Amino acid sequence: MAAAASAPPPALTFPRPIFAAVSSHPFLQAHLSSDQSKRTLRANGRTAHEFRTPGINTGSLTHCNGSAVVRLGNTTVVCGVRAEILKEEDIPGTFADPVLTAGGSDDNDDSADDGNEVEAARLLVPNVELSTGSTPSHIPGNAPSTFAQTLITRIRSLLHSTRLLRASDLRILHQPSTNPEDPDVPAETELKGYWVLYLDVFFISIDGNALDASWIAILAALRDTLIPRAYFDEEYEGILCSDSPKEARRLRLRGLPVPSSFAVFEGRQEAEKGDGEDWVLSDPDAFEEAVCRESVTVVVDCASAGKGTNDAMIRRVEKSGGGIVNREELKGLVKRAIDHWSVVEGALSGRA
Amino acid sequence: MIAPEVTLTHLNRADGSATYTHIGYSIIGAVNGPIEVQRRDEQPEDATIEVNVRPAVGVGSPKERHLETLLHNTLRSIILTRLIPRTLVQITLQIRSLPEEDDSTGVNTSLTILPHLLHTALLALLSASIPLRTILTSVLIAVPSSASPNTSSTPLLSPTANELLRAKPVRSIHVFAFSGDRKLLLNESDGTFSYAEWAEACEKAEEVCCGEEEEGGVKLDEGESMELDGQVQEESLEKWLRGVVRRKVEWEQRWKSAT
Repeated sequence: MAAAASAPPPALTFPRPIFAAVSSHPFLQAHLSSDQSKRTLRANGRTAHEFRTPGINTGSLTHCNGSAVVRLGNTTVVCGVRAEILKEEDIPGTFADPVLTAGGSDDNDDSADDGNEVEAARLLVPNVELSTGSTPSHIPGNAPSTFAQTLITRIRSLLHSTRLLRASDLRILHQPSTNPEDPDVPAETELKGYWVLYLDVFFISIDGNALDASWIAILAALRDTLIPRAYFDEEYEGILCSDSPKEARRLRLRGLPVPSSFAVFEGRQEAEKGDGEDWVLSDPDAFEEAVCRESVTVVVDCASAGKGTNDAMIRRVEKSGGGIVNREELKGLVKRAIDHWSVVEGALSGRA
Repeated sequence: MIAPEVTLTHLNRADGSATYTHIGYSIIGAVNGPIEVQRRDEQPEDATIEVNVRPAVGVGSPKERHLETLLHNTLRSIILTRLIPRTLVQITLQIRSLPEEDDSTGVNTSLTILPHLLHTALLALLSASIPLRTILTSVLIAVPSSASPNTSSTPLLSPTANELLRAKPVRSIHVFAFSGDRKLLLNESDGTFSYAEWAEACEKAEEVCCGEEEEGGVKLDEGESMELDGQVQEESLEKWLRGVVRRKVEWEQRWKSAT
């Protein structure tokens, strides 16, 4: 190829990167429709169904309550979780006090419907930042781009709709030592404040599939998060935190929802052949995302349900941009998402 | 299901416009295009599509950006962008009013408004005579939790905000959009559900949007029996859409057809 570039080539041939840049769609189609081997490879060397295995490193940041660095090929993302105390008088909104019961009653997954409490008091604050140079389309110094804002909205609604965090983990409760009304009866437990979790997602580089990478980073960081024991001091009349790391506790997450994103590549039909073929590519990189118009994201959670296509729990489906993926296709994608769930689950628990 | 009310081409300055009112949601849509595009947004082989969603109160937030992205991706697949390259199609959707209960239904509010935004955008595009590949129709389906005491867990088709409030807690909520040739263009599903439940909701949505599978073409004399004011109708959304456009065309051609 290098020799052909120096002398004027007899036919019109380009080196690989120039072909990719000049005509990206035929480039990917040529890769996918080549039938030299049994397995057709994409431009990045993966098969159409192949995900990138996440590399996860937790606890990298010292000033966070929990943190994680996740790599998905060339997509690199850092997530830090910072817990701050929200005092009772600062709780936003017109929001009624939750019914406080003696600790541990809402450990059961189904009984507690506290998602509204987390959402109304705004106890989770996700934010996405793209670093300078992380992607060519991001111009530094501007307001957050549509891309970043869309990503924040998707992460936020996924956090709330999956009810990932328990409100009981974030409440700061206090039982007064004396009951002013009746000294013989123990006083009722009062809500003195909340822990607010700031989830900051920082992209070092983006090579496609930003949602999956940032969500895996958030999951890993939340699993790594240690919340110090906070208590209300009656003499100080304020919330204090215990200095002892032994009293700190971890967050108990509800289930393990894992998103899997796909891009649909519409093959263009050539003149003599019939319809163009279509490919659904798992875990697209930035080049494939630029070429493909239709995208599908399936969020599955197999932590409590089975791993069959019919009994797995789907938490979210997002599909837009075209009409290739129909009911039957989506069934296949759910299956691929379930297979991917096991891989991510293994990586998160350090078994990969 | 109550058919939505639509006024077509009522703004003088925009190339195309539509006002859409349905179960408490009211949206004004305006389309300008094809117009000149800014240099940095110009695409050599495609038209650029710009979608602006303006909320009923306040300025746009990340939620509106997300809706814009969804609308942009969906509309890009039905507008024949290659016929009008190096131009801009600008779609502005102003939400005029929301049902009072919209905030307290406990479901994602960007999903409840999405079908209405899609319909408004499509009607405004039709009114502006932008070349389209196909039409689209969209519907919201809510599946109430089986644990909720006052309702059975039959899926609610295009529920009003009040119905959603009464069906609380809602187990899953789905938005489907289908093209005229019965392709699934957009799907946003949220909550907890299995594939079988999703497929059932999808099938139901297809029926509501595109009508029964078996029938041949659209019969010509069907529009006569329809009435303008939204009464209970058992017709598909596609027929409703065709009826809206037919009535507008008939009204504009009343002098021509009278002579």
